[in-house]
Amino acid sequence: MRTEPIRDQASAEAAEQARTRDEPEASRRSSQSALVRPARSSQALKTGLIFFPAFDWAISPTHPEREERLLYTRDQIFEEGLMDLPQIEEYKPRLAELKDVARVHFCVPDVESKTTEAHLIAAGSTLVLADALMSNQIRNGFALVRPPGHHSMRVVHGNRGFCNINNEAIMVEYIRKKYGMRKIAIVDTDVHHGDGTQDIFWHDPDVLFISFHQDGRTLYPGSGFVHEMGGPAALGSTLNVPLPPGTTDEGIHFVLENLVLPILDDFGPDLVCNSAGQDNHYTDPLANMRFTAQGYARLNERLNPDMAVLEGGYAIESALPYVNTGIIQAMARLDYSHVREPDYVPGRFTQTGEMVRSIESTVNYLLNIWETKDDLISRAKEELGQFYRNRKRVFYDTDMISENQEETVRMCPDCQGYLMVGTQASQGHGRLNTALGVSIPLFACRSCQDDAREEYEEHKQDAKYDFVYLQDRPRDVYRSYHTRTRNERAY
Amino acid sequence: MLIGIDVGGTTTDAALIDGGQVVKTAIGPTDHQDILGCLLRALDKLTSGIDCRKIERVVLSTTLITNLIAEGKQDPVSLVLIPGPGTNPDDYHLPGQPIVLGGAIDYRGREIQSLDQSQVRAAAARIAGQGIKKAAIVGKFCQRNPAHELQAESAFRDAAPQVEVEVGHRVSGMLNFPRRAATTVLTLATRDQYREFAHAVVQAIRNRNIDAPIYILKADGGTLPLDRSEDRPVETIFSGPAASVMGVMALAPAGQTSVVVDIGGTTTDLALILSGQPLLSSKGARVDGMLTHIRAFAVKSLGLGGDSAVRVAKGHLTVGPDRQGPARALGGPLPTPTDALSVLGMAQVGDAALAMKAMQEVGSSLGCSALEASQKVVETSVEKIVREVEQMFLEWEQEPAYRIWEILQKERVRPQNVVGVGGASPALVPMVAERLKARSIVLKHAAVANAIGAAVARPTMTLSLHIDTERGVYSVAEDGSSGEVSGRNLNLQGAEDMARRLLMERARSLGIGEHADEAEVTNSEIFNMVRGWSTVGRLLDVRMEIPAGILPSWGGAGREN
Repeated sequence: MRTEPIRDQASAEAAEQARTRDEPEASRRSSQSALVRPARSSQALKTGLIFFPAFDWAISPTHPEREERLLYTRDQIFEEGLMDLPQIEEYKPRLAELKDVARVHFCVPDVESKTTEAHLIAAGSTLVLADALMSNQIRNGFALVRPPGHHSMRVVHGNRGFCNINNEAIMVEYIRKKYGMRKIAIVDTDVHHGDGTQDIFWHDPDVLFISFHQDGRTLYPGSGFVHEMGGPAALGSTLNVPLPPGTTDEGIHFVLENLVLPILDDFGPDLVCNSAGQDNHYTDPLANMRFTAQGYARLNERLNPDMAVLEGGYAIESALPYVNTGIIQAMARLDYSHVREPDYVPGRFTQTGEMVRSIESTVNYLLNIWETKDDLISRAKEELGQFYRNRKRVFYDTDMISENQEETVRMCPDCQGYLMVGTQASQGHGRLNTALGVSIPLFACRSCQDDAREEYEEHKQDAKYDFVYLQDRPRDVYRSYHTRTRNERAY
Repeated sequence: MLIGIDVGGTTTDAALIDGGQVVKTAIGPTDHQDILGCLLRALDKLTSGIDCRKIERVVLSTTLITNLIAEGKQDPVSLVLIPGPGTNPDDYHLPGQPIVLGGAIDYRGREIQSLDQSQVRAAAARIAGQGIKKAAIVGKFCQRNPAHELQAESAFRDAAPQVEVEVGHRVSGMLNFPRRAATTVLTLATRDQYREFAHAVVQAIRNRNIDAPIYILKADGGTLPLDRSEDRPVETIFSGPAASVMGVMALAPAGQTSVVVDIGGTTTDLALILSGQPLLSSKGARVDGMLTHIRAFAVKSLGLGGDSAVRVAKGHLTVGPDRQGPARALGGPLPTPTDALSVLGMAQVGDAALAMKAMQEVGSSLGCSALEASQKVVETSVEKIVREVEQMFLEWEQEPAYRIWEILQKERVRPQNVVGVGGASPALVPMVAERLKARSIVLKHAAVANAIGAAVARPTMTLSLHIDTERGVYSVAEDGSSGEVSGRNLNLQGAEDMARRLLMERARSLGIGEHADEAEVTNSEIFNMVRGWSTVGRLLDVRMEIPAGILPSWGGAGREN
């Protein structure tokens, strides 16, 4: 497992430089005393918990993401009296600020129109726990909230895979900005590929994103294959583990012990997040895996995340009450051995030899990628010129939106490079907005910062786009310009 | 005429109210060995020369249950749990060593594992063998389906008829299994002694030719006929602090936000009244270190009072949290806030010269005069109270919320009034109020505010109805009653009508039927159960409440404006 406490000297210095150069006084003050890994070395013993079931919010009355989803979970964890236990501290959610969303997403046309209060509360809950974690009030935190977020990408035209905004990504960028943390690992344990989170951190070598999920050839969103391993300057910091349908506790724990934990140990993150979907469960109606409540609890015990954020999971009666109880107990270091689904009998599920071999070979392939990633990156950079360009299409299943994107990343020798993404979306035959987003990473070098700001100013005259955006993370300012009305606003 | 008697920790105060006016009061010391005697002495003082036929109600608040528990005199109870899957029962720290039985009910009230009858019989035999006379049997989710608790109860009756059994779902049906277990144990442990006391009280009052109904004040500030309270005596715990909050409700301006500051000798009790409604502790009171389902006002007790020990260590002044004896002015061992108030001319207690000497000592340790030292003692005390009040508001704001509207709605609220009750209040409360930028109110009937509060408090009750139309069942959390409902498409209006009907019945059975129409729906929710793409049933929750309040007959005559 990871060692502690970790103080990443190089990143600390870079962060300090970025701050002294560009930040206003107030934010400089707020981020002092940061840069030290908080959680596991701290004296705080409690697990922070926010339960926000959004009992008054649904995508539509019969949608899986409806009011009823966490109702039985509420009954179970309240009846268990978990919130009263001395190991657990319950927190009240708050709304995320629009700025917290704009730090991650280009919402087209704006953040307000792409989020409801429920979205802002789910995202805000992760920020409450992040603050509690960073101020040593808690040892770790679990945001048991809905709506979920891991299918939301950097550009947001609408809802994809039940998600509008990406709760974890918003938390990660908030923590990095406010507390100066740099290296973060996100392990996505949802049965669906966390394609949104992958997209957001695709070019970021400081965010290790590992997703294990049911093979994309058999399940939404149809991605998450081993060859998807990050942008050219961040190869290997995205790792996808597609698993055969029917994978059991045994298979997932094999991946955890032989791939996820050793790589986390090697990466040495300042913070580990679990993007905690619960739809690997054997009763989930939308997927075909065979994970159990015990398996989930042990996963969280072994992974020992600093933060866990609920994602999917739609077996609202047969799985969620038990899985959530187990995860809370494991994070709070309580005995979870008494958690059991009513119909579960030990030894009920086994994997075929073929499945076992397939998982082993995936793990070996990915371990090899991890070991050779530095070579892969330098080779990729050699082949590319000053800029990397890529086109892609994104489909929003919930809102039936098709989007074409063209992204450009500067292949900078000094930092991960600034990014520009042009986007054009249509819904049926109707054309939606076109937009260009310019994104400056928090730890961007001076020249990337300057160039990116210039790009934004230049493109404000570009009639090709309805909206032009700038994510200026070093200055923590997020601009949006409407080319027709010539209105600029800043979050 | 209304009579209120509060047998408090130190004093017993009583008030006779007629036509909205306090016409007679009585105050005497409390003797914990003879609570009944204290009560009757106060009653006799009030009623001497009064025509007892004109008395309409007698309301008591006593420390009986609090004392029983504090002194460890409750009856021994064995706890039997049917926990099903979930938390290891060892993680709960429940009293004694609970006996755990196999069997499980789920959150919808469906049996997922049948009760192990042989284990039940073995448990009954073991308890009987230990000579324990009472057993609390509590199952997880048995409020959604009492079958296992009822089966166990009946098996106990056969196997160990001498053991008195109480089951969890009849004590409380609110979600939270360990709290239900603790509340059930406390109920059994105090019931016999409480019943004995209640009977003696009724007997003694009837012997005095007072035929008026007799009520007891509960921890949530509501009154309940004394005889009906015998089933659930723990609800009357903390009735003293409840009486003082109700006193402020009766005497302070109506409908406003106030902090109740009750400064006694050893402690200061703080409570909040938010827009006229006293704040309840969020899930239930903590009793004897155990969290329970007992509805009680959120009262914070601070180790600071007129007799708190004043010390100087390394140039740093501390006040409390302990009391080492009375004020120096009264021959006590250490300087106290009372001595400081005496030096400042804000209180006349005992020997002023001794008080001055005490403060000179404090002053010399701090390197200042006795007068300055006294000011510092008072400032420190005020600061401690202010900080605690601010913390209480903060905690209230930070209480978890599970719905969007709750999160959007909760605004930052600050007190309009600081209302002083108790001995040291007149001196300190104005300063606390000034710091909180609120109006200071020191009640003119401060000494008997508790008795007044008890006398004019109205009954309270709640009714929490849970309906599962797919299973066709309903249950009421307060008394564990349940039954069948028909119609999968019952709507919220239908559920509320049903709740109102049930509330009416329950109010009548509690002897407070005339107040049933004061109940309001405080929460009602409906969840469609969707399986596949169709609605197979609905889950409905309706909660109705008669909140703490003052009888209309009290009027406004006694109130501060």
